[in-house]
Amino acid sequence: MLTVEGLCELKGYKCALLGNAEDEVTNCYTGDLLSDVMGNAEEGSVLITIQAHKNTIAVASLVGIRAVVLCNGRTSPEDMRKAAKDEGVTIIETKDNQFSASWKIAGLLGLK
Amino acid sequence: MFVKVDLHNHSCLSPCGDDEMTPGMLAFEAMEKGIKFLGLTDHNCGRNLPAFEKVCKICNIIPVLGIEVNTVEDVHVLCFFKDLKEAMDFSSFIERLLPPILNLPRMFGNQLIINEEEENTGTFKWNLIGTCGIGFDDLIEEVNSRSGIVIPAHIDRFANSVISSLGFLPNLSYTAVECLKIPCEYETYENTIIQGSDAHMLNQVGRRYCSLDVKTLDFEGLRNALESGQVKYRREF
Repeated sequence: MLTVEGLCELKGYKCALLGNAEDEVTNCYTGDLLSDVMGNAEEGSVLITIQAHKNTIAVASLVGIRAVVLCNGRTSPEDMRKAAKDEGVTIIETKDNQFSASWKIAGLLGLK
Repeated sequence: MFVKVDLHNHSCLSPCGDDEMTPGMLAFEAMEKGIKFLGLTDHNCGRNLPAFEKVCKICNIIPVLGIEVNTVEDVHVLCFFKDLKEAMDFSSFIERLLPPILNLPRMFGNQLIINEEEENTGTFKWNLIGTCGIGFDDLIEEVNSRSGIVIPAHIDRFANSVISSLGFLPNLSYTAVECLKIPCEYETYENTIIQGSDAHMLNQVGRRYCSLDVKTLDFEGLRNALESGQVKYRREF
């Protein structure tokens, strides 16, 4: 079983805000357009994106996304971290791009 | 008095704008359509605003000097300023935030700079179609701090909109909100909804506009009208 905390253990993945560490991650969705994420991501997913904005947390909360991985070295603004704390969503930051992050997390999920 | 307002238009400086769309041609076309307040909003750059301001005065149109900024989230926002100096200061600010990617006219189109005599005096070398390095929230704050008018563009568009990129409209301090469809199907809080042409070629000028109850025919009159919400849409004429 993959937990949110397990995602943070990837090398080069920094936990910027830990929500509920024991939340199980069962799927993954990669996308930067939040309207698309809202319509297509599944509950229990980790979201891989470059969209470092507090709206990302609102969308995550709506869908039931447990963690957000911000790629390409983008960092989370303070208001985004505060929203994540309130909603129990974890934020992870990495220099990987979305493809590399997707590939690594697919491995953790046993999808490859 | 209700006057026709079309704040969203591109000139030949925008790579996607037609080369025939000089500031002068834009203003003359708008005059023929009876537009009173006319905006020029090229992507990420205001270098055709000096010519635009001059030719609008000849056409007895009130120029609304603006830039359509593309934020890091790929969201388009219309930003307007009270005079040419303020608009060009803001243009310099945005130009410094552009990624150093040269424009490829063959791929994206020309980025023509037009002077006050309607002559082509050069091209803008950095590509203007992409995102510049400022976030949506920071941009709204920046324009407000410069006492500008700030309007998220075509929020219900399939791309380059606050809805497509950010999922919903954050509840920030806007002067108004631009939508393609009336009534707008998204939450816009208490903001006035406007429509604009988003014209990239001459025959698109005035294809969408709205009519506002403006007390004084100047920038502050426009701002007050936008904030008061006294607006009629084209189909109500």
